[in-house]
Amino acid sequence: MNKIIVYCERDDINTLRNVSYELLSKARSLKNEAKRLIKDYDIEIEAISIGASLDEDCIKKAYASGADKFTFIKDDSLNDFCQTIYSRVFVEYFNTSPSDIILFPATVKGRILAPRITTLLNTGLVADCIELEIILKDDDIKLASTRPTFGAQLMATIISKSSPQCATVRENVFKAEFDFNNCGKYFEYLPCRYEETRMKIIKTVQNKICNDVDFSSAKIIFAGGYGLYDGTSNYYEKLKKIAENTCSKYGATRKVVDFNLAPSNLQIGQTGVSVEPELYVAFGISGAIQHIMGMKNSKKIIAVNTDSNAQIFQYSDYKIVADAREIIDELYDLVL
Amino acid sequence: MDIVLCLKQVPDVDDIKWTKENNLDRSLMLSKLNPCDEFAIETAVKLKQALKDVSITAISMGPENAKEVLNYAAAKGADRAILLSDKAFAASDTLVTSKILASAIKKFIPNFSLVLTGQMAQDGDTAQVPVSLAQYLDIPDVTCASDIVCESANISVVQKTGSIMNFWEINMSCLVALNDECKEKTFPKINDYIRAQSLNIEVYGLDDIGLDKNEVGIIGSPTRVYRAFRPENKKNTAEISSDFAKFMFEQINKVKK
Repeated sequence: MNKIIVYCERDDINTLRNVSYELLSKARSLKNEAKRLIKDYDIEIEAISIGASLDEDCIKKAYASGADKFTFIKDDSLNDFCQTIYSRVFVEYFNTSPSDIILFPATVKGRILAPRITTLLNTGLVADCIELEIILKDDDIKLASTRPTFGAQLMATIISKSSPQCATVRENVFKAEFDFNNCGKYFEYLPCRYEETRMKIIKTVQNKICNDVDFSSAKIIFAGGYGLYDGTSNYYEKLKKIAENTCSKYGATRKVVDFNLAPSNLQIGQTGVSVEPELYVAFGISGAIQHIMGMKNSKKIIAVNTDSNAQIFQYSDYKIVADAREIIDELYDLVL
Repeated sequence: MDIVLCLKQVPDVDDIKWTKENNLDRSLMLSKLNPCDEFAIETAVKLKQALKDVSITAISMGPENAKEVLNYAAAKGADRAILLSDKAFAASDTLVTSKILASAIKKFIPNFSLVLTGQMAQDGDTAQVPVSLAQYLDIPDVTCASDIVCESANISVVQKTGSIMNFWEINMSCLVALNDECKEKTFPKINDYIRAQSLNIEVYGLDDIGLDKNEVGIIGSPTRVYRAFRPENKKNTAEISSDFAKFMFEQINKVKK
């Protein structure tokens, strides 16, 4: 049986994360690709989720985005995510109904769960992929997964010789496409009950300070990197004033935050916030990949750096090789 | 209490050298301690200072050169250092690396209570080895950790993911993967380096850890690189040569309208 399993991550309100539909839509295009390579080659797409209950509309959306079958691994004890238990119930079910390919979301939970599952299945796992293809190798259908490596300066396409072939896939890379005429079959699997007594969460805190800067409404964002540091935080303050006087927002890189030159709620990047303003101006930012990931979708990017080979320029529309501090001084006089 | 400290020596990704054919030129690249691992070392040392009877074993898989990171860990306070080095280990993927580390830990540090790792390695950036290692050792794990407090048989771990902070309580034995938020790095003193030199680094190969050559390295690894390429710059970048501030001011006004 040729089958692709998509692991669908459930959130706190029993709906599925949007990446589930993105991966199901991509699985559907892989299925069509396989059909083109080998005539009459058919792949079944199975969505699997784990939990105590699930919103019914999500199951319909899963069919609409490509699932032929939806299996809910269900038990009252499975309401809260726990990687040691989720991996065991997944593998228990998988062994009754194996597949050739498993796709996981490269979310925080997905990246904790997937390696446990693949280790139990003694198979390979490709991390944090941004492209998936079906290729024909030795007359067989193979999954080829592409991922950034070496700080995204090198792309590697990876194949797996063990089965199932598994990958975690980044969110917001593929588009979720819905066809509500598409129907599927729903199954429930009731697993053995496992208990995890070795670990528990004693408290969860939502850090509100991290949410109070609304970058999403900003048309213009000025961001400062470590290149503005002159022994004081003067240039970060100046940049902040420029932003305030132009109805813009001010952000910073991780290094600036780490050195306490800006508060953590201003951090733009993979571990901070992602932004997509109409204009992004990067001052003294070299372009570490963590930062690039959080700003590369801006409509227009201007970067200023003294190093003409700085990585940030590869993602910029306008390149200015100069001392960012001098430009800030001039701009400050223009806007204030 | 036995703490296992997993370390990796990585090429400096901020200093990548390319061959004419657009391949990585590793011979010209500098090696360094993986940045997240610095925090793992700091955390291990902090626990050693706070608790009695802590022994830290630093362990790394890699070529002879990787002794550098073990020496550094020894200077910072590791009591024992193990290098897993064998030509057969070359090109091991995350699954096989985890298997090798787990086999060595079970064999050489059987009474471990806590395994500390960095969250991810800067070169591969998969974050898979800590999780897979925990599965091989059959112990619970907390990743994305930013702090550890240790009391008797339990440890409390602060986990930071985005804007959410979880406070975990875990029984030992367990694994904690630490993120690179090491803000107060301490530097070893000359005396520490001198003391570290007297520490004998134990070196073990394939036969010592009891795995078969078909289970490790490029032969045993399920995943392999099919092709590698440099991402193309899809942007048409225009260089501005003068009147920088004025140009910026104009761009700002354009968007504001």
